[in-house]
Amino acid sequence: MIHFNDVTKVYNGNVKAIENMNFNVEDGELVIMLGPSGCGKTTLLRMVNQLESITDGDIMLNGKSVKHSNKIEMRRNIGYVIQSNGLFPNMNIEDNAMIVPNLLGWDRKKMRDRFNTLMELVGLNPDQYRKRFPHELSGGQQQRVGVARALAADPPVMLMDEPFGALDPIIRTHLQEEFLQIQKELKKTILFVSHDIDEAVKMADKIALLKGGQMMQYAEPAKMLNKPANSFVAEFVGQDRVLKSMSLYTVKDLATALTLKPVSESLEAQNINENLSLRVAISKLLNQEADQLIVENNNGTNKGSITLDLIEQFLHREIKESV
Amino acid sequence: MERTNKTIALIIKLIFWGLLAAFFVWAFTNSMFSTIVEQPDTFFRLLGEHVTIVLLSGAAAVLLAVPLGIFVTRPKFRKSEWLIIGIANLGQTVPSLAVLALAMGFLGIGISAAIVALFVYSLLPIIQNTIAGIDSVDDDMIDAAKGMGLTNSQILWKIELPNALTSIIAGVRTALVINIGTAALAYLVGAGGLGVWIFTGIRLFDNAFLMSGAVPVTLLAILIDYLFKWLQFALVPKGLRLARKAQNS
Repeated sequence: MIHFNDVTKVYNGNVKAIENMNFNVEDGELVIMLGPSGCGKTTLLRMVNQLESITDGDIMLNGKSVKHSNKIEMRRNIGYVIQSNGLFPNMNIEDNAMIVPNLLGWDRKKMRDRFNTLMELVGLNPDQYRKRFPHELSGGQQQRVGVARALAADPPVMLMDEPFGALDPIIRTHLQEEFLQIQKELKKTILFVSHDIDEAVKMADKIALLKGGQMMQYAEPAKMLNKPANSFVAEFVGQDRVLKSMSLYTVKDLATALTLKPVSESLEAQNINENLSLRVAISKLLNQEADQLIVENNNGTNKGSITLDLIEQFLHREIKESV
Repeated sequence: MERTNKTIALIIKLIFWGLLAAFFVWAFTNSMFSTIVEQPDTFFRLLGEHVTIVLLSGAAAVLLAVPLGIFVTRPKFRKSEWLIIGIANLGQTVPSLAVLALAMGFLGIGISAAIVALFVYSLLPIIQNTIAGIDSVDDDMIDAAKGMGLTNSQILWKIELPNALTSIIAGVRTALVINIGTAALAYLVGAGGLGVWIFTGIRLFDNAFLMSGAVPVTLLAILIDYLFKWLQFALVPKGLRLARKAQNS
């Protein structure tokens, strides 16, 4: 869907912000661009909708060069969410959310229906908020409206620049989870900028880790954590990267890959739902709550037990496989 | 703390209104407004001239200064800001009397000289407030608007101007209130206005003439000030008022 072909950005004739960037974002994928500040991730994002010009190379959006597209028309087909939500204080929530449909000339009925659908989607009551103004809403609510606004004209592609960065941790986690649910339903192609490795691991299908305008590694979160391409990546994802990667697997993944142990009568045991992450499982085992965890599915059927040995075995296997 | 502040504000207000009332009682008992009572026709003619000078010069200034302010804030023409502000500053820094005299030099005696002089005099506050208003619009907001595919003119009309409106109206308000006072000098270039009575009063040491001219000028200034306060309330989008409140609290 989005193809970066040798994209280069040079400022003032000599400062290279992006150097020969090559990667693809496939249909329906959520790709997070990650990196320290000044690595060029935001610049790269803004080159897609041409808020920044491309010095050399090109970006193909659905097979069309963004350089040669009509900027205004193209931007109306790309959802855009920024950190500070950028809602317009002079317009009420409905006008804010419906700004692109309004530009596209939708009729009132269609806009009203769309507004209602979107607000339900982002978890706000449409009638309660329709005539309110941005400043009457909390930061989290404003950002929900920001997301609704980006989705308004049902664009296939979304660009999100640290959309949850300005929110407090609890609200941020909420919105991340809700947004993942929305994405599961809508399957948009999303390019997302973040500086938070945990956010990236949690949300991304693939992570693009940048440094100094160059791609350090472009891979699935599990692969990046288990098999960092170089020392910079290893350092950036953190020394606890293996533990982080554990949150990407569920107990069920382990149960499918390896045979579970029979439940031993001599060990202290606790139950664990198979849909929980391995990180939770490890935590329970380390916490001396139990020496073995009895795996059960949603119906409570006992499927066998796991111990730290078994998780270790699984880990070795995964790390080897992802080579 | 807030309570004591409110009490102090109330006391000051009471003192102010008390002084004002005392002044009017004094003025009426000494028949300071006798000139108005004796020559109502002349009064209304002078008042009409005064208002005409202020409104025509003000309207012309708005029509030129607001578009100029918008022009200067376009990224392409940003470099012209110093030039435009410089010229407008020139109009403002030269004493109003000198501006009137210069205008009279070109246009001769009469109302048109006064209108042109006050027009030049009003440009600066309106241009500066237009620029300040547009500059104060959050860059992120403009960025979001651009990213969603608004054209430059849509950004101007839907985002920049509504958000700059409070500041622009404040500029016009300042310019007009100053103009009402300055228009009293229009008498000196033969343009009439309430200045006629004020200057007559000064020359004849006749307080009745002086007051009959000066007090209506003051009241007119206060009236225009209130009118614009109301206009600001009526024209500025509700969401912005809420935004301001949220910022202040």
